[in-house]
Amino acid sequence: MQPLISLKSLVKNYRNHRALDGVDLNVMPGITGLLGPNGAGKSSLIKAILGLVGVTSGTGTVLGHRLAADGKKIRNDIGYMPEDDCYIPGMSGVEVVHFAASLSGLPKVEGLRRSHEILDFCDMKQERYRAIETYSTGMRQKVKFAAAIVHDPKFLILDEPTSGLDPEEREALLQRISVLCVDAGKSALLSTHILPDVQSICNQVVILSNGQVRLNKPLAELNAIQIPTVEISVDQIKDEFVDRLQSRSIEVSPLDNGNLEVTGESLETVTHELWQSAAATSTMILALKPAMNSLESIFMETVAEASAASREAANAR
Amino acid sequence: MPVNHLGYRPWKSKLTSSLTRWWCISSSGIALAQKSALVKRMLFAAWLPVLYWGVGFFFIGQAMEGKVDFLPQRSQNHIGHAFNELPEADREKIKAAKSGTNRLAVAVLLKRQFKRIPQVDQLADELISGDESSSRNRVWCWLMMSFFRYPQGLMILFLVGAITPSLISRDIRSRAFLLYFSRPISKTEYVLGKFFIPATFIALVTTLPAIALYIFGVLMSPDLSVVTSTWDVPLRILLGTVVLVVPTVSVALMFSSLTQESRFASFSWFAFFTLGHAAWLAVVFSYAFRNGGAIPFDTDVMEIPSVKRWGLLSLYNNIGEVQGWVFGFSSLSDAWPGLLMLALITAVSLAVIYRQISSPMRV
Repeated sequence: MQPLISLKSLVKNYRNHRALDGVDLNVMPGITGLLGPNGAGKSSLIKAILGLVGVTSGTGTVLGHRLAADGKKIRNDIGYMPEDDCYIPGMSGVEVVHFAASLSGLPKVEGLRRSHEILDFCDMKQERYRAIETYSTGMRQKVKFAAAIVHDPKFLILDEPTSGLDPEEREALLQRISVLCVDAGKSALLSTHILPDVQSICNQVVILSNGQVRLNKPLAELNAIQIPTVEISVDQIKDEFVDRLQSRSIEVSPLDNGNLEVTGESLETVTHELWQSAAATSTMILALKPAMNSLESIFMETVAEASAASREAANAR
Repeated sequence: MPVNHLGYRPWKSKLTSSLTRWWCISSSGIALAQKSALVKRMLFAAWLPVLYWGVGFFFIGQAMEGKVDFLPQRSQNHIGHAFNELPEADREKIKAAKSGTNRLAVAVLLKRQFKRIPQVDQLADELISGDESSSRNRVWCWLMMSFFRYPQGLMILFLVGAITPSLISRDIRSRAFLLYFSRPISKTEYVLGKFFIPATFIALVTTLPAIALYIFGVLMSPDLSVVTSTWDVPLRILLGTVVLVVPTVSVALMFSSLTQESRFASFSWFAFFTLGHAAWLAVVFSYAFRNGGAIPFDTDVMEIPSVKRWGLLSLYNNIGEVQGWVFGFSSLSDAWPGLLMLALITAVSLAVIYRQISSPMRV
C-alpha cells in the first residue's frame, strides 16, 4: 500500500528555533492520529504539508504532489480544519461554507447547493442562516468541519476537531469522521490532545516530540501487550482468590477502575488458572478481556524518552 | 434530522478556472461591504456631483456651437469687457485666431473668470489655437479631469477609509486567513481579491459616472461624429481610474495589514492622506506669505520649483499631477516625479502587505 504522505528528513527552522528536526514520516490510508506535547511541531508539520510555510530542507510527496512546489495542488486535494476559530465576521454559517466552496473552485450555484448538503450532514439546522459571530463553539466547529469537506477532498487534516465540544457533539463529530473515512474512502490526519479520540477512530498513531517523529505505528500493534495479560472484573476481590493465583506464578495487580490485571506465562495458562481459582474461592468473574496498552502510557513514555534524549544531546554539546 | 438529509455524498464536477478564484474574494467582500448603510450613503453622495458635471457638459456643449453674434447683447458686452481685461499677450493670441466664435468666447471667460483653477488657462489657450473638434476633446478631458480631481478625488478618501481598513485587519483578528490559505489560493490572489473590493467601489463612483457623462456628452452633441474626436476620452477615464485606485487602495490595504484593529488602520489612512496634503499646503501658504501675501492657491505659486517639490509629500497632489498627464494637460516630464512617487508608495505598500500576510503563517 502506497503512503499518502511521505516526508523525508524534513527540517523547518524559524530563525533560531528548529520546529521540525528531520521528520521522516509515512502516512498510510485510513485515520492517523498525530499526537505530541505543545510545541512538538504538529502545527508546523501541518503547515508544511499544506504548503503554507516553506521547508528549510527535506523532500516529500503529498497525495502524489511534490511538497512545497505543488502547494496549490495539494490544498486542492486536502480539507483542512484549523484548531483556531477562523471566520469572516458578518457572514452566516452557510455563507462561510459557500465561500470556502467557491475558493476551492465550486461553481456558484452548485457550491451553494453543496454547502447546504454538507451542513445537513453536519446536523446544522436553521442556525446556518445566523451571523457566525453569534455561534457557540460547537456550531463553529461544525461550520469549520463543513468548510473543510465541502469540496470533497481526498484527505482531511483535522486540528483539534473535538476541542470545546460536549460529549454528545464530540461523539457525533467522530462518527462523521468515521463515516467519511470508512464509507466515503477518505483518509485523515487527526491532530489532537484528546487521546480517547485517537483510541476510538484512528488506525495509525504518530507521536511527534521536539520536532521529530518518535513513534509511528498502527494502533492495534501499540495496544497489543507482549506479555499475556487479561483484565478481569469480579463481584468481590477476595484475598484467597488473589493468593491462589499468585501461588501459581500468576501476577495479580489492582487497577484504578476496580478491576484486576492478571499476567502469566501464556494466555491459556492464565485463563485456565483464573477459572479454577474462581471456582475454588467462589468468586464470580463478571468480565474478562485481554488487557491493552493504554495510549496514554505509550504517549507519556514516548515523550519522556524524547525529552531524556534531548537533554542528553544538549549535555553532549 | 432535516428531511432532505442525504448523508455524505461525493462531489465530482468541473471546477471553475483557478485564474478567477481571486474574484470570489472580491465578490464576497463587495457583498459584505455593501451591507453597510454608511457605504450606501457614500455611494449615493458620490453620484451627486454627476448632476453638476452633467450641466457643465450640456452648457459647454451648447456654447461650442454657433456664432457669438447670436448671444444676447448683454452677454456679448460682458465677453467684451472680459476680453479687454486680459493681458496684452492673451488678447493678441485671440485676435490672431479665427474670431467671433463661441469657442473663443468660452476661452475669454475661462481666462478671465476661472484662471485660478488649475490647467484652465492651458485649456483656454488650446481653445484659442485649436479647431472645434480638438477643442471639444480638450474641454471634455478637462471636465473629466476636474471630476476625478475634485469631488471624486475627495470622496474616495472617505470611501476607501470606510471599506479598506477592515479588509485584512479583520482577517488577522478572526484568523480568517486560514480559511483563505488552506485553499488553493496564493498570496497574490488574496491581495488581488482584497484589492478589487475598494477598487470596484471607486470605479462605481468614478469610472461609471465619468463614462455616463461621456455618453451624455455624445448624445448632447449635434451628431455622433464627435466620437471620432473624443474616442480617447474613455481610455483616459480608465487610466485616470487606475491612477486613482492603485496607490490609494495599496496604501489603505497596507495600513489594514499592519494591525488587527480596523479603527487604527482607518485613522492611519486618514492621517496619511490629510497630513501629507496639509504639509504640502503649509509649504505653499508659507511661501505665499513670505512673498508679500500672494494668494496661496494661485497655481503660479505651486509651480515654483522650490515649492512644487514639496508636493511629493501629498498623495492627493501626486495623483493630481499624474492625472493631469493622463488627461493631456501636462507632459510626462512634468508628471514623472509624481508618477515615481506613486509607484514607490505602491511598491512599498505591496511589499509590506506581502510580508504581513505571510507572518501569521510563521507562528
